[in-house]
Amino acid sequence: MSPDLIVGALAFLFTLMIFSYLIGDNPLFRVAVYVFVGVSAGYVAAVAFRQVLLPNLLYPLVNGTTTQRALLATPLLLSGLLLMKAWAPLSRLGTPSMAVLVGVSAAVAIGGAVTGTLLPQIGVTINMFDLRTSTSPFTALFNGAFILAGVVTTLVYFHFGARTTADGSVRRFGLIEFIAFIGSIFLAFTLGVLFAGVYSAALTALIERLYFFGTFFGLG
Amino acid sequence: MRTVAVILAVLTGLIVLLGYFFPVLSGVQTVVLSWTIILAGTATVVGVFSLILVHFNKVTRREKGSVYSVLLLMALFVTFIFGITLGPDDPNMQLLVNAIIVPVESTLMALLAVTLLYAGVRLLRRRTDLMSVIFLLTAAFMLFASATLPFGEISLLNNWIRPWVQQVLALGGARGILIGVALGTLTTGLRILFGADRPYGGK
Repeated sequence: MSPDLIVGALAFLFTLMIFSYLIGDNPLFRVAVYVFVGVSAGYVAAVAFRQVLLPNLLYPLVNGTTTQRALLATPLLLSGLLLMKAWAPLSRLGTPSMAVLVGVSAAVAIGGAVTGTLLPQIGVTINMFDLRTSTSPFTALFNGAFILAGVVTTLVYFHFGARTTADGSVRRFGLIEFIAFIGSIFLAFTLGVLFAGVYSAALTALIERLYFFGTFFGLG
Repeated sequence: MRTVAVILAVLTGLIVLLGYFFPVLSGVQTVVLSWTIILAGTATVVGVFSLILVHFNKVTRREKGSVYSVLLLMALFVTFIFGITLGPDDPNMQLLVNAIIVPVESTLMALLAVTLLYAGVRLLRRRTDLMSVIFLLTAAFMLFASATLPFGEISLLNNWIRPWVQQVLALGGARGILIGVALGTLTTGLRILFGADRPYGGK
């Protein structure tokens, strides 16, 4: 048997097992999912070892210069402590390593949020009103106003500051409640468009899988 | 241990953050980032090891569904050993990916077409308010307007209404969500760097 045939047969088998979920949760579906999780986890661990730990830590420690080795002493110690996380009695020793991981991730996330999302998104919303670059100023102004209204009202929708009223219930301020209502309409449009996009992608995947069935049996 | 953890989190976080603004710190920032990449790799291995422990305990205790755990462990070990010896880029490893990972992911995505449709119908039955109606009508309209119709395209739909809904109405909400997420990330990140939040266990 050629490797391609084995791969095709396995792919067919796993596709069928996953599709069996359409008749409800069943052992075939579970077998496919558990094997999938196992293979994915094994693959991820192999990638982490071969492409991260081996070239960045283990190989330089064995073959690197003295400076390289000295610089790697800290990540080696922190990695050793992090491994303790896997064993409950010593898991507290892994806290400093987790702290470094979380601290650096927070800093990277702040940098990414400010330079990658906040500034560009705010900038592009403001630029909608730059009539010099627009061929149709009225349309640009009209659309820009709608988008600005969408941005502001959506942000207000996620404002959950509230106060207790005379009857004891907790409510948002009346004006905020009204703006949030408009924001919910913008959100409904946004989520509807996103839903349609995801649904189109899912339909494409479904058609591709059905086409795969056809080609597997030589019908395509 | 807690104080050490807080100091490490704040110190390394500030070095990386300040490295964005002060070029003089970029060298130290690079070193700290390379250490963190190594730690992230180790954390991945620890995560997989934790998964092995959970399923190994299930098998030794002969819990319900432990047969599936045996399959998971076998699949994991075989893939890991082949991955370590051959390397993830090896053509034989790619055969494994094409035989199991790609078809399962693709079929799960295909199942989404059915479950999303079911979820849409359930939403209309359970919660018939203005937001749900607009959400479902927009989704149905977008699908209809982007489909290839047997009688050709309707110019008003394809060239005017659909782009306007997509690029004005939906864009406003999407931009609001993005800015909201970024503000949330910024706040959470700053709370960690100020030591107010300690999700790494330093209570």
